[in-house]
This record gives sequence, structure tokens and C-alpha cells, in this order.
Amino acid sequence: MLYDIRLELHYDYEGFVHGDRHLVRVAPASIPGVQRVIASSISFDPKPDTETNFVDFFGNLVTTISYAHYHDSLNVRLTARVGVEDDHPPADFSPDLAGLQRELSTLWTLDANSPHHFLATSPRIAFSRPITDYARQSVRRTTSVRAAAMDFCLSIHRDFKYEQDSTDVNTSPLDAFHLKKGVCQDFAHVMIAGLRGVGIPAAYVSGFLRTIPPKGKARLEGADAMHAWVRVWCGIHDGWLEFDPTNAMLAGADHITIGHGRDYADISPIVGVLRTSGGHDAKQSVDVIRVE
Amino acid sequence: MDKRNQRQNARKPGGPGLATGYTLLPGIPDEMLGPDGKVRPGWAQLLAGFDELGPAGLSERFERADQYLRDAGVFYRKYDGAAGKERAWPLAHVPLIIDEADWQEITSGLVQRAELLEKLVADIYGDNHLVARGVLPPELVARNPEFLRPVVGIKPASGHYLHFCAFELGRGPDGGWWVLGDRTQAPSGAGFALENRVATTRALSDIYARMHVHRLAGFFRDFRDALHGDARKHDGRVGILTPGQHNETYFEHAYIARYLGFMLLEGEDLVVDDGEVMVRTVAGLKPVSVLWRRMDASFTDPLELRVDSRIGTPGMTEALRQGSISIVNAIGSGILETRAFAAFMPKLSEALLGAPLQLPTIATWWCGQAGERQHVIDNIDRMMVGPAFSTVLAIEDRETTMLGAALDPAPKEALRQRLLDDGGHFVGQEPVTLSTAPVYVDGRLEPRPITLRVYAARTPKGWTIMPGGFARVGSTLDSAAIAMQRGGQAADVWVVSDKPVERVSLLPQAGEKLLRNSAGSLPSRAADNLIWLGRYAERCEATVRILRAYNARLAEMSNPDLPILSDTRTYLDSIDVDARHALPPGLLSAIDSAVHSASQIRDRFSPDGWLALADLRKTARNFAARVQVGDDATRAMTVLLRKLAGFSGLVHENMYRFAGWRFLEIGRRLERGIQIAGITRWLTREDAPEGALDMLLEIGDSVMTHRRRYNVAAGANSYVDLLVLDPLNPRSVLFQVAELREQIERLPGGVVDGQLSVTAKAVLELQTQLRVAEPEDMTPERLAELCAEIGRLAGLIADAYFV
Repeated sequence: MLYDIRLELHYDYEGFVHGDRHLVRVAPASIPGVQRVIASSISFDPKPDTETNFVDFFGNLVTTISYAHYHDSLNVRLTARVGVEDDHPPADFSPDLAGLQRELSTLWTLDANSPHHFLATSPRIAFSRPITDYARQSVRRTTSVRAAAMDFCLSIHRDFKYEQDSTDVNTSPLDAFHLKKGVCQDFAHVMIAGLRGVGIPAAYVSGFLRTIPPKGKARLEGADAMHAWVRVWCGIHDGWLEFDPTNAMLAGADHITIGHGRDYADISPIVGVLRTSGGHDAKQSVDVIRVE
Repeated sequence: MDKRNQRQNARKPGGPGLATGYTLLPGIPDEMLGPDGKVRPGWAQLLAGFDELGPAGLSERFERADQYLRDAGVFYRKYDGAAGKERAWPLAHVPLIIDEADWQEITSGLVQRAELLEKLVADIYGDNHLVARGVLPPELVARNPEFLRPVVGIKPASGHYLHFCAFELGRGPDGGWWVLGDRTQAPSGAGFALENRVATTRALSDIYARMHVHRLAGFFRDFRDALHGDARKHDGRVGILTPGQHNETYFEHAYIARYLGFMLLEGEDLVVDDGEVMVRTVAGLKPVSVLWRRMDASFTDPLELRVDSRIGTPGMTEALRQGSISIVNAIGSGILETRAFAAFMPKLSEALLGAPLQLPTIATWWCGQAGERQHVIDNIDRMMVGPAFSTVLAIEDRETTMLGAALDPAPKEALRQRLLDDGGHFVGQEPVTLSTAPVYVDGRLEPRPITLRVYAARTPKGWTIMPGGFARVGSTLDSAAIAMQRGGQAADVWVVSDKPVERVSLLPQAGEKLLRNSAGSLPSRAADNLIWLGRYAERCEATVRILRAYNARLAEMSNPDLPILSDTRTYLDSIDVDARHALPPGLLSAIDSAVHSASQIRDRFSPDGWLALADLRKTARNFAARVQVGDDATRAMTVLLRKLAGFSGLVHENMYRFAGWRFLEIGRRLERGIQIAGITRWLTREDAPEGALDMLLEIGDSVMTHRRRYNVAAGANSYVDLLVLDPLNPRSVLFQVAELREQIERLPGGVVDGQLSVTAKAVLELQTQLRVAEPEDMTPERLAELCAEIGRLAGLIADAYFV
């Protein structure tokens, strides 16, 4: 499936700022067998004084911008055309948890894709007993890692309420777990914390989701959203598979990936350092339009 | 008994003399006594010297060392509860003596180890051959909080990851040295080792002179030259990057910066501009190409490393990617401190160097491997068990490291279970037994456990090892009580040769090319602090003068409601000084502010200046507790005034007339101008009470001059003339403005090709106005304006040099 994506991030600052520097991770990357980026361009307003690009440890495309001059707003605009493969996941050949541990111990590699990177605590994810116990129920109910991951994905969808503004960008997985509600970031963080807690490697995926308007209604401009879901390592044969706990499904042709990391901190759309005492006002709009 | 006999006796343990009663502990080697109980050769010389001095002489000598440390203001910060406190450096007065031959083993073992560590860290952040070859388990890296993914694949600009390492050594029961830990993150203590040496040799200069002790200066000189050499390749400066004055070892950062002549920089002094690290100086942005990092790596960049770091420089990692900065040690090197790595050092040495370790590492088992885990479980009573990824030395880590033998059955079983469930997070280590060395307690020598901290530095000719370092001495016989944070002490280490040793100093040698740092290297933050130090010191002086005049009159008139007294209180209130207190809180806080400004720039002025300021604060606080208003306070203010003058004098007479001094001077002049204009305005207003003009003269320290210059009672005009417009009175406003003009014109960019900077124009204009003014022009309204105009100069300077 082919999509045209438009993303706009807009920040209005309280007063003028300067000397600020930002890392931007919004551009989708080509991933063999998953998606192909046909065109992608990113622009900033006002024009930054320096702009450089690099690929980070996990393979994500990063743009660094900095401003020496004063400005009171920042606008980031991405346009991209991405082809997403629409293939059905193969049959489940994943091992059970003990088998997964054995397979892990045979993997002597630190490649960016190595599951070893996704087992420990990370900046936004600590281990917590309640979440681990919650995930362990899914392991007990199933006989393979992949089935356990799907069971856990469905459990979160069932037990948690999706509620805009019930959490914020800094809510910890444990707080979201106790609230039993949140947004896609919280769902993903809880799922990752649980899986790692029982010893299953799990990563955070950032991307876009095409939303399909209700029957008979027109698609609303900018109504689509940035989205987050979870990548789970299901053993050497099945490899990495993507689960979307917000929508109780495997990630598929409606999911367009920007990139992944250990948690939100590794792949947040924009990280910035501002020397300002005032706050700022943020707006975001996303359009994911199917071209064919 | 003559002296000669005493000396003979000292060599015999058990005879009279200091070593009387000093004995070997069973199964534990001692540094002073050989296994046969005989005093080792170097120590015999030291003991002979001690016995010659006798107990009283020795105490007096040791007091000299302590006095030196107090005078030099040597402190470290001790963490107890929320706020760290400054503590005097705990010097153990008896140096640890190590024979040159013994030291040679340490040296060659540590050179080998430093090379091994360099290869290891290069592989971790490079090609990962060690993981692929099955030598290093991937979990030890991938789960390691010190593995910093943003720098994976970035080759250090200098070509090397490690430049300065420290090693913690202990002597095992077999008499050989063991490595207890590698310090590669930001090793501290080298500066304290220097201070230990200075203090100890102050006390024992004659003994030191008789023995052939290896000097430390050569080590520092070689490392300084190596860093300068790296910096010159890139045409930039060398800085020491410090987390700031709240850090445990900030004193040392400032000390080394001063000793080696490097800039002392904090994260906010730096900015990354187009991929290059620049320091904000009073002459604009200047490139830095080598940073000797004394902060933990992840704090150096809030953008890519730790988003919660408030002491970093955004973009530092970007500069690393661009290869424009060499950070010493490289960001990420801290991973080598991970405790679990100790388990792999023997294998790593074979794999990377093709040779066994010359100095063994403390026996360690990582419980992420089945066989090792079982070994630890089976031998748990002979193990210290602790976190695998901790970078704290096991002997310093009471919170998370458990001694198997000390556990009750239930917790021991729980520990076994945790090892089974989650072995990868634990290591078992052999409990450390350390050798003992003498400390001086109540006139006798007593054995205490010691560890040795030794430093290695990279030079163009390879690794060099500091011939010395410092020994950490336990406060009891318990090996675990050795960390400085828990009451241990530090002793100087004398590596003794049987031949004369080379004498070195950091002064340029004959034939060496003289290098000068330019005056433009003053970081803006330091300049800002210098201005404020000058201002606060002057504000204290002005306040003390007013308070003295007030209290003297209060004592004399004994009626606080008299107009001149209540009027002065009103004025003091307006500058936040409550004269109902003998030592008003406003004055104490101005003193604190001066000390605070000074503490952020300790590398910039002399220890004597710092000491004078610290003494001022201490005295003021003592006074605050007991002094009463009136006569008592008058005398207290006189004491404070003298101490303030002492500080100003030390600074004025001793500080090199570099940009730094100019900013300090500017701060003083700005504040004095504002204060004099302010009090003159108040006391010359039309409805000022009787006695106001006399008081003004006294506050302006101009009573004699006034009498001499104006022999007729000339009215208020003569007072205004003397205190505002007189170009020769060092307390007049015009005098301050003239001084300001002189300094401002000499600042970077002050006068360029005859063109004046904005600030220089403003000060010239102000000076000119005052020079042509008549006393009667100086109305209270005009004086209020004058205060504001001087304040505006401060703003112009801040805009020009600190933004």
C-alpha cells in the first residue's frame, strides 16, 4: 500500500528564544520486507542556522538543528511517500520462554538489531513487580513466546482504557499501569516493561497510523496521529514481530514506521534544549493518505 | 641515652621508640615490617627520623602539615543527607614507603593493564570482535547502563579512548599486589596526591631530603604537555570540564587547573557551534579542542546522553561525531569500571595481548554463567556478592554488596534464590584482605589496612605511571571502612630509591619554548563571578562602614529614637539591612554571596585570598551569635573592616593584571560608586537630620581630608565636592568612574583602532559629566540618577561580555 504522509509539529514559545538545539526523529526509514520510502523531505521554519543529519545506533534518521538567532516559534514539516508491504505473518514457530532464553544465549552479537539491547531497563522503563506479574499471566496461559506476546497485547487492550489527556508524555509505565488508562505511548511502555520483566526482548516503535473514517463520513484533515507500538523478539526463526496494544492487533499495512528504540526516549519526535524560563505551546497535525 | 642509641633501638621492633608494640597481624602482610618482623629498609630511615624528633617534635611537625592543608583550603565534599559539607582533607601523616623494586612491578603491571583497557574499550565501541569470538558475553555490554549507544562507532579524535586512568590496588596475603578496581570514568584524587605530598614534606622536610623519594611533578608535566600537544594539532585550547562547585572533588579540579594552567570550565561555559566546541569568553567564542573531563560522561550532553542533565553542553556528541573535540577519557569509557568485567580480565588479557595479566585482578565470578553461578552459590560463605553492573568498588559498597559469611540463614537462602533467578545481575568476589601500614595514633604507631591509588597517563611515548599516588588508610582494622566518605584517611606514598632521583618542576626548562596563554581566555561565567565577587565584597565594606558609624553614635547617645539614628536605620532598611541586629542578616547574606561567587572561581585567585574570605565569613557568623548593638557592634565592625581590607589587599597586591583582575576591579568600582552616591544623596538631602554630614564624612573615610581641604565650614557643598566630584579622593564617585573607564577601555574590544566600544563611550560620557559638574549640580535627584547610570554600565558590560 502506498501512502502520502504529512506531519506538522508546531511550537509557540512564550517570548523569544535563541541558542537552542534540537534532535528531530520524524522521517520514516526504509526497512527491507516492511516498508520502502519513495520520497521524504523535512523542512523547518524559521530556517535553522545549522542543520545536519545522521543515523543513530538503532538505524533511525536524525536531523539536528540549531538556532543562534532569536525566534518565537518552531515549525517542523515532514512530507513523505512510503510503500508498506501488506504481507500476512507466517505461522508461529516461536519457542517457549525457556527455549527463548536458550536461543538468546547463543546470540553472540551486539548489532543494533540484537535482542540483547532490549532486555534491560532503559531511560523510561524500569522493572516493576506488578507489571511483570501481569505479563507472567500471559506467559502462563500460552505455550509460545509469540502467543504470550499476543495474549499480553490483547490483555492490555482489554484492561486499559484509551483516554486522551489522562496521562502526559512523562507518565511512567507503573503510573499508567495503576491508572489503567493512557494513550498509545503508555500502552506500549506497559507492554515493553512486562515483556522485559519476564525476559522477552521488546522495543518501542514510533510511527504513523492511518485512521479510517466512520462509514459515510469524510476523512478529516490532520485527524490522523503519530502512533506507537511494540516490537517483540520471538526467537531466531520468527525474529522481530510488531504488536499494537492500542488496537489489539499485529502491526500491519496501516502502520508506517519512523523508527524504534528501547523506549520513547530513544525515538521521541523532537528533543530540544532551550535556554528559556517560559514554557511553550505545542500543536501537531498528521495526515496519512492512501495513494493507491 | 644519646641520639645514636635511640636510632639503633628504633630499628628493633619491641625496643623503645615509636615502633614499640607495633606487630604483624596473623596472616596479613605489613608494609613496614617484613614477614620476619624486621623493619624494611626505607621505613627504618623514616623511623629513625621520627625517633630523633621524639613524640613532641613529631606532633608539632604533623601539626605543620595540617596547618598547610588548612591554609591551602584543601577540602573535599562529604555527602551526608541532602547537602554536602566541605571537610578538611584527612591526611594520615605517616607516608607509605614503597621500595623502588616493588614499585617497578606495579608500574609494568599497570602499563600493561592500561593498554589492555584501551583495546577493550576500543572493541566495545568499535567492531565487537570480543563478543563475536565468545570472549565477552554480549549481555555485559548490552545491559550495561554505562554503555552509551550514541557514541558507538565514533573514533576518538586523538586516536585513543583512554588518557588518564587510576587503579585501586591492595596487597594480598601472598604479599603480591592485586588490582581491586579500574577507574576510567573520571578518576579523581591526583591533585590530592600532590597536596598530600606538599603537606607531608612540609612536616618531614629533613627526612624527605635524606631519602631518595621519586618526585611527582614530572608525571604532571608530561601529561600537561601531552594534552597541549593534542590541542595544538587542532589549534585549540585545553580545558578541565568540571560539574561545578557542588562536586565532591571540585577543590581538586580547581587545584589542577591552576597547577597545570588549564581553563576550568563548566558545561554552560561551552557551546557547540557548527560542530565545534567553543568556550564563551570575554573576547567572544574561542575553540576548545581538548577537554579533560571530570564529570561522568552521560552528563556532558543533555541532548543525546542524559536529557535530565543540567550541567552538560547540548551538542557535545555532535562535536564528537564531527571529530572536532578530544574528550579525555572518551565518552563511554566508564563502562570499563563495571564490576563484572573483572571476571573476564584474565581471558581478555590473553585474547587482546596474547599474554597473562602481570598484576592479577581480584577473583571475580559473573553469575550470568551457569558454572560460575554454581561456584558462587556453593562457596557463598567465602564470597562478597554484589551487583554485576555497579561501578563502585566492592570494598566501598556497603549498601548493595553482601558478605556471604555475615548473612543469617534466611537472607542467605534468599540470596541463593536471587542468584538462581537473576544471576546475570550479580557477581561474586573473593573478600579482600589488605596489608597493613602504620598510622600515628596517640603517640604510637598502629597497623591499619591500606589500599593504594595509582595513576597512569598517556603521553606521546606511551603510558607513564605516577611514582607515588596516595594510600587510603582504614579508620579501623576493618577493610571495608577505607573509603574517604566513611572516615578513612589518605597518606602520601613515597617510592624510595637507593640512588638520588631526578628533581623536576613544572617551570619551563632551559631551552624550552615559552608558551603564553592569551588574555582572551577568560570564560564569561568566570568574569561574571569576578564582577559579583568585587561587588559583594565592596557592598559588605560599605554596609560595615555605615553600621559602624551608626553603632558608635548609638553607644554614645544611648537613645535609639534620636533623628540621626532612626534616619540611618531608614536608609539601611532601604538596602535590606536591619540595624536592630548587631550583625544584620542582610550583611551576613552579602558575605555569603561574596563567598559563593568566589567558590565558583577558585582556580582564579590565590589560596590566601580564599582563606581571607572564609575567615571573614567565620568571624561574622561568630559575631552574629554573641555581639550586641552599640559599642560591642562598633568594635565588631572594626574587626570586619580590617578583614575586608585584608582580602582586598591580598587580591590587589597579588593578582596578576589579567582580564580576570579587571573584572574584579570593575565590580568593586561599580559598587563603590553606587554606594557612595546613594549614601551621599541620603545624607545631603535638605531635611537630613543634624549630624548627617559628619556621619557622611566618617562613612566616606574622609574626615581628615575634609578638614585639610576646607578650612572654613563650607556647608553641604564641600561634602558633595569631596565625596562625588573630587578626582583625587579614592572614595569619590568620580574616582570610581575614572577607574572604571581605565579598566573598561582595556577589556577585549574596549578600544579598537581608536574606536570606543558602547560601554567605553558610556563611561567616558559619565566621567566627562562629572568632571565639568559643580557641587551645587549634585542635587539628591541628580545623585539618584547617578546611581542608576552606574547600574546601567553594569548592564552594558553584561551584554557585551556575558551573553
